[in-house]
Amino acid sequence: MSEMSGPLVVPSAGAAEIAFGVEHEIAPEDPITPPGRWMRENLFSSWSNGIQTVLFAAILIGILKWLLNLVFAEESDWASVATNIRLLFAYNYPVEQFVRVWVSLGTLLAAAGLSIAAWNLDLSFTLRKLGINTATGGGVLVLVGILTPGTAPSDVRAGMFVLGAILLVIGLAVLFGVKDPHRKRIPFEALLISVAGLVVAFVWLFPLGRYEFAGDEASYASGTINISTKGPWTVMMIVLVASFLVGKALGRVLPSGALKGVMAAFWVIGPAFLIFVVLRDPAFDWGYVWAVDVPMALGFALLGGGVLYFLTKPGLGELGRIIGAVLFGVAVFNWVAAFFGLYPMLQKGRISFMLLAVFAILAPTFAGERAARLRFATGWAVLVVVMHWLITAINTPSTLEIVAPPFLGGFILSVSIAYYVMLASFPLGILLALARTSKLPIFRVMSTVYIEILRGVPLITILFFFSIMLNLFLPGGMSISELAAIFTGYSLFSAAYMAENIRGGLQAIRRGQYEASDALGLTTVQRTMFIVLPQALRVTIPNLVGQAIATFKETSLVSIVGGFELVRIANQTIPNQPDYIGQNRPALLFISLVFWAFSYSMSRASRSLEQHLGVGTGR
Amino acid sequence: MSMSDANIALSAEMAARDNMITCRGVKKWFGDFQALTGVDLTVKDREVMVVLGPSGSGKSTLIRCINRLEVHQEGQIVVDGIELTNDLRNIDKIRSEVGMVFQQFNLFPHLTVLDNITLAPVWVRKKSKVEAEATAHELLERVGIPEQAAKYPGQLSGGQQQRVAIARSLAMEPKVMLFDEPTSALDPEMISEVLDVMKDLANGGMTMIVVTHEMGFAREVADRVVFMEAGNVVEINEPEAFFTNPVSDRTKLFLSQIL
Repeated sequence: MSEMSGPLVVPSAGAAEIAFGVEHEIAPEDPITPPGRWMRENLFSSWSNGIQTVLFAAILIGILKWLLNLVFAEESDWASVATNIRLLFAYNYPVEQFVRVWVSLGTLLAAAGLSIAAWNLDLSFTLRKLGINTATGGGVLVLVGILTPGTAPSDVRAGMFVLGAILLVIGLAVLFGVKDPHRKRIPFEALLISVAGLVVAFVWLFPLGRYEFAGDEASYASGTINISTKGPWTVMMIVLVASFLVGKALGRVLPSGALKGVMAAFWVIGPAFLIFVVLRDPAFDWGYVWAVDVPMALGFALLGGGVLYFLTKPGLGELGRIIGAVLFGVAVFNWVAAFFGLYPMLQKGRISFMLLAVFAILAPTFAGERAARLRFATGWAVLVVVMHWLITAINTPSTLEIVAPPFLGGFILSVSIAYYVMLASFPLGILLALARTSKLPIFRVMSTVYIEILRGVPLITILFFFSIMLNLFLPGGMSISELAAIFTGYSLFSAAYMAENIRGGLQAIRRGQYEASDALGLTTVQRTMFIVLPQALRVTIPNLVGQAIATFKETSLVSIVGGFELVRIANQTIPNQPDYIGQNRPALLFISLVFWAFSYSMSRASRSLEQHLGVGTGR
Repeated sequence: MSMSDANIALSAEMAARDNMITCRGVKKWFGDFQALTGVDLTVKDREVMVVLGPSGSGKSTLIRCINRLEVHQEGQIVVDGIELTNDLRNIDKIRSEVGMVFQQFNLFPHLTVLDNITLAPVWVRKKSKVEAEATAHELLERVGIPEQAAKYPGQLSGGQQQRVAIARSLAMEPKVMLFDEPTSALDPEMISEVLDVMKDLANGGMTMIVVTHEMGFAREVADRVVFMEAGNVVEINEPEAFFTNPVSDRTKLFLSQIL
């Protein structure tokens, strides 16, 4: 066997169908081409190329000019946006309780910092890229300054020229002043700290001006923005940087994967806690909580955990599946009976019981040694306790005194709905996709019918149906809030599209993968969870992010069924304020920018995620 | 030539052993096309059987029927005393005792080499992770690539991938190993490293059925050579007799074309 211990052979092309996890050396970035040569080669390489360049440049400048005319039109009163920022982002959330909004945002930023550290996302880039981006940004800003119509305030225009020139000079200095800028990387720590520092410097130093509110009257004062804005933002930036550094330090101490697991759990349930516990501030009736809610949650956690610990015993064989199936039957009966008023039971209990049944059916799949069984049972217990806490919080009246009923509104509403719709439709979409590709006709037909019906109906119809009509169909004593109804309908709709996206990923899996899993004796569930889905979902990432962006933008439809989200505030609420009658244009332009900024960030994040997981790049 | 005597061409010592695999009148159709036309075959415990034959003769179909990747429609297949029926428990039991190595390796590209090997022992055999990993490292040592445990399949050469695939099957401690043209997708210089591992395995007493075009391997390692043609067994013989003095005319023609 002498030839076996030979040197490592270079991977042959076609050896693996998808090259997951292949590491290549990063190709050196090209050195900087002088701008003159670059333009000759790329923009004016031939007569036709030159004509196209001039033509499209003219069109682009025309569009920019038109946009700037809109922005700085005489009838656009930008004070309508400046005085309504709070309204646009948090709607009617009480000002005196605003610290709750900041705590929520701070928690999210802390989680973001920890997550970036946990997954070791390297978002650093080279000095060359920094130089090019800064110089381009500066150049564009100068161009915008030139194209800005005379109706714009003169200091705004002057500001553009000054800032643009500064950026241009810095960018060019980095590009041509530093030796080999394409070989020098800025460490991510430095990048994060300088971005945070720039934000803080901007809010403290930049003379944006501010509005003082006396009752409903807003009066303008020059200078930097209010301390109530720049104070919290300073704290936010410190939180972001600090959490990243803490995460890095924790990564060195904790076992690998521990921080990832905690952060993944946070991203599933954390935002819901921020919405329903921090922002909504439920007024718990503690007597009832201790008498009913806590015993119920603990009962499900401990008894259910015990049952699951028993069911994950290896060699239990058919008994485990039978018990799981019986539990599931009872759970289904429990739901059906509720519709006829036969079986009164707290909704919480009904949901927990159904979940327990699902866990019980899956239990034999996760059978194993003691540690694995304990992990499974503990996972269940934690899930149940968290879920009960959340459901209790949602069903408890809020302490907030809010003018209009919805406690969520504006940007927070759009983001919350989009986030949880995606999160809820994800498992549902996976199940639908698996059902649609199943060998069993009943699953296949049911899933196909569901998907084709939901995809064939406009979203707005589904939102109307759920927000207005769902309560009419629910049995007596059961009701669902408008927000929950919208969320449910939207999730069911989104799941149909998600299922089709994931089905595409499932079809990309080679038959050999199924055969190898079968030959090893994996069960269908194990094969799906460990072999098929992980591969299918990686292939699906670009489509899923596309759907996330669409979901986020389509939350604007929520306005039609009564939600006060960005579009409705910009188009109806602000133009109806006495000071800004008919002023919808600035606000609409502004929210377009907000939507764009978020969608673009998502698309960029998706690209780095793809690279991180090695889709199509051969990493 | 009658195939009713399933113990044909066996030494007395071999004939006395237990039957590991028994096929009786196995028939298999793909649509209208009959791939197997009533195969009778017995494989003894610790026997190495090499299956030869032109492409389309049903070699791969036969061994894929033995761990039920394909379902035979008529006849009987018994593996280690368990008959293959539609009963899922029997199928799971047989699959965990019969290892299979594929032409295209079929490693799981999203898992490291180590995870590829430990997945089934942990989830099917319910071994502890620590124990499974210790076994995996031993097996990687045995197939000659202990240093590749942390890599992904895409980072390995074809020969290394096939050796990982063999280790992955062995990790389940199978009683029988099925090899479906294990070297056909490999570059020539990598064939011998895989064959060496298989020889090693055969010398260790593993019961093996090997579908291959490697005549040298058949001659050197096989206890018996089976020649298949048009979905049935044409000749079963000892390797030396098979290559030097074949009984059937069809075998002679086949050998004259390839040798």
